[in-house]
Amino acid sequence: MNFLVKKLKVIKAVALVTYKEWSAYRTHSMVSIFVGPVYFIVQYYIWTAVYSGKTSLNGMELSEMLTYFGITTLIGYITMDFADWNLQMLVRTGKFLTFALRPIHHRFFALSQKIGHRILGLFFEFIPCLFIFGFIFKINLSPANYGWTIISVVLAFLMNLYLNYTIGLTAFWLVQATGVRRVYLLLQSIFSGGLVPLVFFPKILQKLLLFLPFQYVSYVPAMVFIGRYTLAGVSIPIPQIVGLQAIAVVVTALISEIVYRSSMKRFTGVGA
Amino acid sequence: MLKKYIEIYRECIKISISTAMTYRFNFILDNFIMLVSNTLFPLVTLLIYGSGAEFPNWSLYEVLLIQAVFTMSTGVANIFFSGVLWATMRHIIEGSLEIALIKPVNCLFFLIASTVEFSSLSLFLGGGVMFAIALSHIGPVSILMVLQFLVLFMSGVCVMMGISLIMAATSFKWVGNSRLPEIFDSIKYFGRYPQNIFHKTISGFTSFIIPVAMIGYFPAAALLGEANGTAFIAILPCFVFTMGGIFLFRHMIRLYEGVGG
Amino acid sequence: MAIIDVRNLTKTYYTYRRGSSFSDTIKSFFRRERTCVNAVHNVSFQVDEGQITGILGPNGAGKSTTIKMLTGTLYPTSGHISVMGYTPFRDRNTYVNHIGAVFGQKSQLVWDIPPVDSFQMNKAIYSIPEKEYRNTLKELIGMFELEDIIEKPTRVLSLGERMKCEFVMAMLHKPKIVFLDEPTIGLDVIAKQKIRSFIREMNRQGVTFILTTHDLEDVEQLARKVIIINHGQKVFDDTLQKLKMNLGAKKIIRLVLAKPVAEIKLEGIKVIDRNSDFEYTLEVNLENSSINEIIKRLSEMCEFSDISIKELPMEKIITEIYKTTV
Repeated sequence: MNFLVKKLKVIKAVALVTYKEWSAYRTHSMVSIFVGPVYFIVQYYIWTAVYSGKTSLNGMELSEMLTYFGITTLIGYITMDFADWNLQMLVRTGKFLTFALRPIHHRFFALSQKIGHRILGLFFEFIPCLFIFGFIFKINLSPANYGWTIISVVLAFLMNLYLNYTIGLTAFWLVQATGVRRVYLLLQSIFSGGLVPLVFFPKILQKLLLFLPFQYVSYVPAMVFIGRYTLAGVSIPIPQIVGLQAIAVVVTALISEIVYRSSMKRFTGVGA
Repeated sequence: MLKKYIEIYRECIKISISTAMTYRFNFILDNFIMLVSNTLFPLVTLLIYGSGAEFPNWSLYEVLLIQAVFTMSTGVANIFFSGVLWATMRHIIEGSLEIALIKPVNCLFFLIASTVEFSSLSLFLGGGVMFAIALSHIGPVSILMVLQFLVLFMSGVCVMMGISLIMAATSFKWVGNSRLPEIFDSIKYFGRYPQNIFHKTISGFTSFIIPVAMIGYFPAAALLGEANGTAFIAILPCFVFTMGGIFLFRHMIRLYEGVGG
Repeated sequence: MAIIDVRNLTKTYYTYRRGSSFSDTIKSFFRRERTCVNAVHNVSFQVDEGQITGILGPNGAGKSTTIKMLTGTLYPTSGHISVMGYTPFRDRNTYVNHIGAVFGQKSQLVWDIPPVDSFQMNKAIYSIPEKEYRNTLKELIGMFELEDIIEKPTRVLSLGERMKCEFVMAMLHKPKIVFLDEPTIGLDVIAKQKIRSFIREMNRQGVTFILTTHDLEDVEQLARKVIIINHGQKVFDDTLQKLKMNLGAKKIIRLVLAKPVAEIKLEGIKVIDRNSDFEYTLEVNLENSSINEIIKRLSEMCEFSDISIKELPMEKIITEIYKTTV
């Protein structure tokens, strides 16, 4: 219990510092209030045109499609992550050392940082866009089930952190880790479902995506919100897909811990 | 005078190419990522048509033609004008704009010339390949259509030059906002699709106010034989945009000199 | 009582040679040449509780490698380290609770916010009780006169102010041992003095300090014990007094003459460099005559337009050490 209280105190302190640190860049966050809705308007007209004369495409109706794009944007504001970038900067400048000298697991520090950073995102990106989407564009913003949606978004938050953190750890091994990072981010932007619902991809690719971690970052929470999950012709009930997502998060966390440990071995071995 | 400027520009291009060659791996990777991330929207179009849907009255290759033109246009603009924003931003943050100001050449010219960057070359070439494929599925193209296309294409590049300069000018006041380009990228998004899918107000906006339709849609429409009066009237705001960009940037430099001196 | 005990410490790196040309990079992909670097070789020493120990050496001598191994952030290849009964690299997680560290070039402070917020963060990380935190902070801030500074964003602070805040941050959890890696690098004279007197004051309260530096002045003003490392090997380990005795009292004088002279010849002065007829570098021995006297005699002998007096450079000290000990 005492242990938990201590951990919470660290989360609070680090999150607060990160919140203050990024508050100076509020206007940067607020760019999203413009960009998010503009992209949505484009999507609105694209899909309205595409759906003319059709009620359903790949099992999705127009209204669902619009909700999908709105909700992936909003979820993106909550789960957005830059742990990889941060970690790489620390390694490259040698500042990682100051974390090795403090009694804290750096991934836990990164988690606390992300919480602070995303609370800022909640105020300056999520809530304003929520109002714009809900009241101006009038898209349906009530989830099929509040409980499962919240759990799924929290899991997506963690998933994104663990994936990015693992990618960031490559900086201990590679001099030019930015390349790995950019290729990964590119793959993630295509295969997480942010571009288009994954059911639009060719069947073979969909089957492959079932086994890749990308869908858990964006597609899964969005479909949990809509209340119905299908990929590669497989429909999975909501509680089960959230369960799968939880398993995926745990597995990713474990992988990230394994990579972290071997990275630490390397760090303490060569002082990279 | 002109000869001197051409000479400077040639030297800058040489430097840019040799820099790119020094960091070959990065250069290739930059190009690859730039190309793939900019061909995501044609991918969506392919996925839409692959799912048996379509933009009403537009064939797949017609839409791809718009998007190929958009990609080429972005490629050209990225190579020649995108560096100026980052250079200006960096100079302002570090307070080192004086370095550019003390050069015995026009400051705006110098900033543009010294930031030529070929990491978007693949974008232009990739767009070109897409363009060729799309064109081969489209009916015969007359010389007049090609001429119209070239004029409109150049106007589109001018719009992006104007946008780059306006952003660079804005960075004088809104220091170090690295997300500035996202704002304009989101508006450019409209130029990637057939304009008739949008509401009249929007297509009016994208033709005459911020003429992003000129980046992809209008030049492609010329090749499809559908260049109408609107397209040619829209050249005017393109021109205004470019001149506005140049004027604004120069104005900001004058202000900067006034304050800095 | 020895609080730090280091025996036969060795750190060997293997690096791969990479060519710079394109074909070299391709080649190195398949076959890499391994080269072995002995960063630290068979170093042993002990540090007593409550001491200030200076680890001296030129750049790249292995000072930082040694201090990293002492803090547990780098594994030794072989050898034994014991600090307060901990083996740093093995017990790092508990060990780091009891040490503090300031690495001159690596800041713990968060750039965009006031230092006091960064302090709060460390308070949570080290689980410092509220009351203790407030007392310690008040005391440390008082010593540095940082009352107004800590409320300003870190990025607007001067290097000296930032460094003082780094020290506060490293001392908040009351570590018994503090490791300093080049703590005064790049600071002006006044800031250097402030930091040195802070170190002395904390030392009086019982904190053990280990500091690496290539600034002889740091050591002269702070340390009682000096360890000199060169090419990864310990070349000297004794008191500061002993070092001074070994070196003799020597200084370097650079002269710029107004008029050329045939020759500079005085007792206790050796010309070690002569750039032109106008520029001389002299090594002066102050054992028998004071600096005052030497300058007086110099000015009688020749007319100079500029003069500067410096400490012996690190390289010189090391060659002197070799001469007297080996």
